[in-house]
Amino acid sequence: MAALKEHCDDLEPLIEGIADGSLPLSAEDAAHVASCAICSQRIERARSIENLLSMREIAQPQAGFTQAVMARVVQERWKAERAIDLGFNLAIAAGILVIVAAGAGLLWSLGMLSITIDVDAIAQALATTGTGRLLSQVQTVAVSAVLLTMALVLWWWAEAARE
Amino acid sequence: MRATPEHELVERCRQGDETAFRELVDQYKGLVFALIARSITNRARAEELAQDVFLKVHKGLPYFRGEAKLSTWLYRIVINVLSQERPELATASLDDRDDEDRPRVQPAADDRAFGDLVMKDRLHKAIEQLPIPYQVLINGHYLKGMRYEDLAEALNMPMGTVKTHLHRAKRRLRHLLETEYR
Repeated sequence: MAALKEHCDDLEPLIEGIADGSLPLSAEDAAHVASCAICSQRIERARSIENLLSMREIAQPQAGFTQAVMARVVQERWKAERAIDLGFNLAIAAGILVIVAAGAGLLWSLGMLSITIDVDAIAQALATTGTGRLLSQVQTVAVSAVLLTMALVLWWWAEAARE
Repeated sequence: MRATPEHELVERCRQGDETAFRELVDQYKGLVFALIARSITNRARAEELAQDVFLKVHKGLPYFRGEAKLSTWLYRIVINVLSQERPELATASLDDRDDEDRPRVQPAADDRAFGDLVMKDRLHKAIEQLPIPYQVLINGHYLKGMRYEDLAEALNMPMGTVKTHLHRAKRRLRHLLETEYR
């Protein structure tokens, strides 16, 4: 009985190969299978599984599958472009912020930034401020303006290229 | 109609030719969807995942250097997508010894459930429990159009061991059917 069980255990890992015909049974194994209910049942079951696997239907995608994929490709591209647009917008917003800050700095350094704006005081301050000090502020504003212009040109170019 | 040779199709896709990509989808959608639908019971979800595969292909095409066959690359993406869907099965052991520890039910003499519709359902559920590489191996092997070479390359298995793994996968399937899906 123990020897029979041992033979069953030896054959167990080979059942699938026997069932699909890729592992031929030796005469000794064939004799064992013929007289062993467990092994013949296992082989029969493995053959049933083999049959079911080979008879499984092949599912087909829906008719509009390709169109759906292409639509998602377009959608993904649009998302990516939106991210680039957002980047441009942020860059421009940062540029504007720099210009506003520089302008405010200029006004503040000229003493013109106060809660109430006195036009006479502005004119007087403009007339009395040292040229060098004014120039350094003007440089900041000019650099900011150039940066902003570049950002706008770049944006315009990107939009034109997309179209 | 004659199918465009693979390298030509890939090259055209890489150059941004939408018609070529459409052709690629048309050429492989059947295999990709069938492979996924055999692992994912929910048809709508299977369709979504199959679309994900082609989106990944579209994104990856500029980096595809053609060292592997397009089909092999596609099957690898299918495996990745399935692994992301069922992460617990992506890393499941393929070692036979783990399967030995499961309680086994000896086949009963009067079990005549095999071969009927219920059995098909049980089989599907049992396949869903297999580790992803085994699912792809079993599902792909019984699909017309997938060769041992494709499966071996996609699963990073030496050609010589594909058959052994296939037998192990089917053995595990039989054990699952004998125990959990009776």
